[in-house]
Amino acid sequence: MGRLEGADLRRMTVRTLLLQATFNYERQQGLGWAWALQPALERLYPDAAERRERLAGHTAYFNTQPTLASLALGVVAGLEEQCAAGQGPDAGAMTRIKSVLGSSLAALGDRLFWFTLRPFAACLGVLVALGGSWLGAVVLWACYNFLHLGVRLLGVGWGYRLGSAVLGEAQRRRFERLTDRIAVLGAMLVGVTTAWLLAPAGAPQPPVFQVVIAAGLGLGLVVGARPRPSPTEWALGAGALCVVAAWLR
Amino acid sequence: MSHLQIFATLLLGGVAALDATPVAQTLLSQPLVTATLLGAVWGEWRVALEVGVVLQILAASTLPIGARTPEDYAVGGVVGAGVALAVVSRQHFLMVSDAAALTGVFAGLLAASFGVPVVKWQRRRNEGLSRWCEAEIRGGHESALGAAQRAGVVLAFAAGVGYCAVCLALGVWLLGPVAGHHSLRLARAWALAQPLWIGLGLAQLLQAFVRRRLTRAAAFGVAMLASWMLLMMSGR
Repeated sequence: MGRLEGADLRRMTVRTLLLQATFNYERQQGLGWAWALQPALERLYPDAAERRERLAGHTAYFNTQPTLASLALGVVAGLEEQCAAGQGPDAGAMTRIKSVLGSSLAALGDRLFWFTLRPFAACLGVLVALGGSWLGAVVLWACYNFLHLGVRLLGVGWGYRLGSAVLGEAQRRRFERLTDRIAVLGAMLVGVTTAWLLAPAGAPQPPVFQVVIAAGLGLGLVVGARPRPSPTEWALGAGALCVVAAWLR
Repeated sequence: MSHLQIFATLLLGGVAALDATPVAQTLLSQPLVTATLLGAVWGEWRVALEVGVVLQILAASTLPIGARTPEDYAVGGVVGAGVALAVVSRQHFLMVSDAAALTGVFAGLLAASFGVPVVKWQRRRNEGLSRWCEAEIRGGHESALGAAQRAGVVLAFAAGVGYCAVCLALGVWLLGPVAGHHSLRLARAWALAQPLWIGLGLAQLLQAFVRRRLTRAAAFGVAMLASWMLLMMSGR
């Protein structure tokens, strides 16, 4: 029975970039997951009928935060290796393991990447761009991808080596500490950005500008916690009011 | 406004649509990044960055959690900057620049909102693709998996380019003349709307970071006061 090689893990890593190519409401990342796992199954199951059965099984529903999906893929590739050697979990247990991996990694990944790192990178990019520099876009992209692409490209190997320890207390605490630190830095960054907007390069903006920014900030804090209307709908409404006000003046 | 600039804008719409969900999610699709790239293509940084900053700060907290379909700020960012740059390329006056930025942000917000059904439509098509693919694999055609992935990518790219083209055409056709004829009023509206939008976006970012924790709120307050004092001292 074959064992996974470095080349297989590298092929899987490249394929994780297309994890959501066929994202849909029914199976979410299921098809992309099977596509990413295919190199491992080709190595482990020389018998075509058995391989097809495993591959078709992996097209079922799967969903997690896409960056941390690399870790889950590595773990499941390791389990498939055990299965091929006749020691791993059966198909039902594999489905349950995938489900637990998906939801646990989503809980960590959503907080770290979507709720914290992405707004942080955006705020940093905006702060640089407010000075009129095109470097804001580069800063935004580099700040996010240092971690995102790092985890994405190394995650399959980590998951394969660590196995189920990927969800261990030590790893979880490391992710949570990182999230917490970025969130504190992010809150400070919003403070710096607000100060820069009020007095760019030490020259205070006109009082009307300062009052309107404060009004927007206040309005955003009051309405932001509600799901409806969405922030985009609020922005459209506020913009329309500004046009009406300018027209009537 | 040359054919090459329009072609590059539409191409970027497709690339942004790919980056948003189907391929890699590297934030290349974020409005600030696409607006900066379009600023380079159209040779007009100021308007591109103004539109990009406002749309970026509003998009920063719009998140693709679970099966939720958020507003499509990937194509919205390209449409917003594209409309503003197309309008300003006709007349280079300051008033027109501000009016163009306002119309650009409106076009971007509307394109992002109306883009949701387009994204949902793609996901429904992908459901059929998934079922077909599983049946093909069970029937002995493992290569169907690669074909389905390619089809998903092509569909997302084509939908991005097509939707971007429709929104750009409508935006320039409907909003362009308004920005030209009423540039003074729209420039006044921009002076009000820009800080209001930025304030709204900053509040969302602050909520994303603070999450009802007093220490983080304090970090925001201290950082704002310290930066403001530093800026005022350096200004003197």
